[in-house]
Amino acid sequence: MAVQLFFNGLVTGLLIALPALALTLIFGVLKFANFAVGSMVTLGAYAAWVANVRLGLPLSASAAIAAVTVAAAGVASDQLVFERLRERGSISLLVASMGVSLIIENVCRFAFGNASRGFDVAPSRPIRWQGIRINQEQITTAAVVLVCLVLVDALLRFSPLGRAMRAVADNASLAAVRGVERRTVARLTWALVGALLGVAGVLSGLDRAIDPLIGWNYQIPIFAAAILGGLGSPLGAIAGALVIGVAEEMSALVIPTNYRQVVSFAVILALLLFRANGLFGAKAARR
Amino acid sequence: MTGGDIQALSVRSLRSGYGRGGDIIRGVDLDQAPETILAVIGPNGSGKSSFVKTLAGLLDVRSGHVMVTGRDVTAETPAKRVAAGLAYVPQEANVFPSLTIGENLKLATEFLRGRAGVGPEQRQRVLELFPEIAARLRTRAGDLSGGQRQMLAFASALLANPEVLLLDEPSAGLSPKIVGQTMEAIVRVREAGVTVLLVEQNVAAALRIADEAVVLVAGQISLRARAAEVGASDLAELFFAKVA
Repeated sequence: MAVQLFFNGLVTGLLIALPALALTLIFGVLKFANFAVGSMVTLGAYAAWVANVRLGLPLSASAAIAAVTVAAAGVASDQLVFERLRERGSISLLVASMGVSLIIENVCRFAFGNASRGFDVAPSRPIRWQGIRINQEQITTAAVVLVCLVLVDALLRFSPLGRAMRAVADNASLAAVRGVERRTVARLTWALVGALLGVAGVLSGLDRAIDPLIGWNYQIPIFAAAILGGLGSPLGAIAGALVIGVAEEMSALVIPTNYRQVVSFAVILALLLFRANGLFGAKAARR
Repeated sequence: MTGGDIQALSVRSLRSGYGRGGDIIRGVDLDQAPETILAVIGPNGSGKSSFVKTLAGLLDVRSGHVMVTGRDVTAETPAKRVAAGLAYVPQEANVFPSLTIGENLKLATEFLRGRAGVGPEQRQRVLELFPEIAARLRTRAGDLSGGQRQMLAFASALLANPEVLLLDEPSAGLSPKIVGQTMEAIVRVREAGVTVLLVEQNVAAALRIADEAVVLVAGQISLRARAAEVGASDLAELFFAKVA
């Protein structure tokens, strides 16, 4: 049982990893905690549901549409809201992101209602390996997330955009006088983050029923993972997500599963009290 | 470089300040000939760093104009000013610590579309000017000493093949030996054909290498003279006048 829970926790951690990475990228480059991360996951889930169920497209194509839709929503939110408040400080941007979150969530509620929905995918039998039950959705989630993480890592390390994002995260004014337009980097960061959240929405829709609060269910674990890893540290966010995923699943051994989000709250509380920079605090500060 | 009567840097009736506060730079007029070093000196709080930040585009211009080789860049973003030939090295935090030396150098040119003279040949010339960083391209900039960071910052700015290089207190926080090396590097930069505007608190070091000097007091130019002709008594009078 414990091994099964540990495995489930790793997959849950991978599911949280994409939005936690998105949250930490926005924090690193644009210097605020984006509260709309959960609602953008919701938007991704619904965009994929429309493509998959209403338009009859395969899930892979639906995921691509979800990524583009949420990327566009991210860029639009920057253009309409966040860019205008960029010089007002991180608290103003955080509060504005709460507003953006409410707008996205309620647009989804208005368009699709409160009923639970699911993707049109063929049911498949789980496989058993070393006594662990592994279902197809878990394999898909792990594979997609790992590919996304490798691609984001390559982009951050080797591409001009990645260097520009890291430079803006280090020192936005210096980046500007080295020829990097902050507005362009901000827009491209939002597009990247939106794409990650769109894919996370699809994976969330594989994990549970799609409803207007699907992203909200992950909000606290996402924040706990990003803070645990040290906000602004991409590698830290992924490590934090795996720790949170495993801790939440393993908590079923000692507390009822309905209360497993207590783990995320407890992690946030403990970090704020004892280690506000997260486990990778020193590294995060440099990144 | 542009010759003839066109100045490398021209500033007309420049006023700037922070937020809703009063003007810090209060009507500065300035011309600088190509391939010269102009030292901007003055007491603490006289607006030297604010002046150079305004030129770089990091502080909003309230009125007046900034021109680089005759082109008005007043309305341009900091990034576009770099593409127009105006490079800036801030006083502190002048490299990206999480990037390697190689990445710092690469970043300095990869977003400068259309800027003439930016490319492998310029990179080669710049690395020859600063051999101490050329040998350590994979080292993280955050692991460098203060002097090495300063050299990397100079090199990053020069890769953009600027007409004008703005330096904000390059000797700040450096040992006397490293200050000497830094000043030598600035002379090499001028000899390479770049016009240098040098804001400096170390007056003696700045006047030693500069062609001309201006004294900024309370956001206005109080004196302009050839560097060799600026006397200690002139400076004392101006510096203390500000306090009085």
